[in-house]
Amino acid sequence: MKCNDRIFGLLMLVLAVAYGWGATQFPVPFGGGEGIGPETFPTLLAVVLALSSLYLIVKPDPGSKWPPMRTGLELLIAVVVLIAYVLLLQPLGFIITTTLAVGTLCWRMGAAPIRAYVTGLIAGIVVYFLFTIGLDLSLPLGVLSVLEGS
Amino acid sequence: METLGYLIDGFGVALAPHNLMFALIGAFLGTLIGALPGLGPANGVAILIPLAFTLGLPPETALIMLTSVYAGAMYGGRISSILLNIPGDEPAMMTCLDGYPMAQKGKAAEALAISAIASFMGSLIATIGLILLAPLLAKFALTFGPAEYFALFVLAFATLGGITGKNPVKTILAAAIGLMIATVGIDNTGTQRYTFGVLELYEGVDFIIAIVGLFAISELMFFIEDRAGGGKGPMKVNKLTLSWKEIGSIFPTTLRGGVLGFISGVLPGAGASLGSFISYTLEKKILGSKGHFGEGDPRGVAAPEAGNNGASSGALVPMLTLGVPGSGTTAVLLALLISMNITPGPMMFTQNADIVWGVIAALLVGNFLLLLLNIPLVGIFVKLLSVPPKYLLPIVTMVAFVGIYSISNSAFDLYFMVAFGVAGYILRKLEIPLVPIILGLLLGPEMEKNLGHALTISDGDWSVLWSSGLSITLWALAIIGLVLPVVVGPILRRRMKAAQENVG
Repeated sequence: MKCNDRIFGLLMLVLAVAYGWGATQFPVPFGGGEGIGPETFPTLLAVVLALSSLYLIVKPDPGSKWPPMRTGLELLIAVVVLIAYVLLLQPLGFIITTTLAVGTLCWRMGAAPIRAYVTGLIAGIVVYFLFTIGLDLSLPLGVLSVLEGS
Repeated sequence: METLGYLIDGFGVALAPHNLMFALIGAFLGTLIGALPGLGPANGVAILIPLAFTLGLPPETALIMLTSVYAGAMYGGRISSILLNIPGDEPAMMTCLDGYPMAQKGKAAEALAISAIASFMGSLIATIGLILLAPLLAKFALTFGPAEYFALFVLAFATLGGITGKNPVKTILAAAIGLMIATVGIDNTGTQRYTFGVLELYEGVDFIIAIVGLFAISELMFFIEDRAGGGKGPMKVNKLTLSWKEIGSIFPTTLRGGVLGFISGVLPGAGASLGSFISYTLEKKILGSKGHFGEGDPRGVAAPEAGNNGASSGALVPMLTLGVPGSGTTAVLLALLISMNITPGPMMFTQNADIVWGVIAALLVGNFLLLLLNIPLVGIFVKLLSVPPKYLLPIVTMVAFVGIYSISNSAFDLYFMVAFGVAGYILRKLEIPLVPIILGLLLGPEMEKNLGHALTISDGDWSVLWSSGLSITLWALAIIGLVLPVVVGPILRRRMKAAQENVG
């Protein structure tokens, strides 16, 4: 599994070159001529990163195993859940999205589905009131805001 | 004697009722964080930072709360070592050696109480050491010029991997990545760097988002991968029967452990792992055949705990006096300082004396609180320990999200945090350490500023960076710090492992 470090080293080398090239593109600051310009430090970093990634390519460590496909899928689900959480936070409101997100994560981590979503619901409600009443912060109420008027 | 005066003022700050209350909350949360599976101290403190902001706490209160969390996490870490033989983090490994056998013999309560007392002694000794050493070091650090500071930052990165670290090249690589992220944004000459025209990047990358993402979210992903969500069965703790004689018998051990721990905490790169390891092995050597180490000797529990806690207070010395943290958790505390607009370093002792001494006094106060909390309330912590991570981690992740969201109210920051989490997972898989990345993010601006000043003074001559005796010493130490782990690291790791296997 030595290719882990090799691939990563290669990617970092590309990053170092791109980053270093980026540094040469900075406009000269107004009234320049000081000991150090905006490009000096980044150039130094690009060199350090390039050298250390070259070392990784030449002398990689035996890497750890990547998860099998199934676990990889679980990880992907978790990331999708987190992104969806951010996406839906405003429109659906905090309590509903938290119920869904925490519930799904608990369920995928091995909890029974009903218990998982109940945990999510309780966590959502408790955290919501803790933040809005206890800490006086506003969290989006989303579609539940219709209840507020009544 | 002016130190004493400052310290008394510090107590005035720390003992103010609201500060005392937050210290108590912090100590309680900290012990929980330390005890819960999958929540390291750095992680826990990072999640609590946004909360400290949203509460609108003044800087000294926020710092007092989070140092209490820090101290508490060290206390909490031992609970799972003793009861489950699962060390919460590396320094807690040595506590397993005698703690778990004691628990198996039905002396879990005694082991927990002894470790609490040893932790208390270790922290107490180290805090006294901190009080004596920190002002001296701060005064000395005032003589540092920009070139020395630049060398010091390099030293901090070089020794961050610690003596037990694996591949120093990966530490350098991680540091470079962190520093590169720190250059994103508008620099002090007004030049936009690596912003790609994205408005949210103009102010740079917020390191709190990076820290929470890298630590908390990658931790969640690791748990999913290991399918370790099941948790452990409930545990029983017997009734405590501990005589003063037994406490007296561990007293010399805790004294030695605390001093050794403090020294290894202050030294760059040594850290808490080495502190607990040295304390344990030394204790074994001193007592030799008189002890029954590895079979549940109380002194085998006391030594590493005193060492571990001594080291964690000792690690605050370089963080407070030089602004250079030596561990992940102190790096997170540094993040808090910077985001409260307090520049850590020697100037802090003169400019923000009330905060510094308030925090130091809070360490002492927090220590007493922790001892009081830990002996009677240990049952509660043990119960909470059996909450399975499959429920706990998703909730903790959500709290982290809410914390970040409530400071910025921006979805962009949250996406960014998820991205950092995924990156953190991949980097950990590749065995790239995350702490240098955080430190790079934190120290990047200061490092560049000092490089700039040094080069401005010397009119662009780079040799200024290694022209004074002090800076040469710092560079030399940095090189030793990088090379030594390659030589000594494998031996130390093997020994720690061997000690572990002898018992298990």
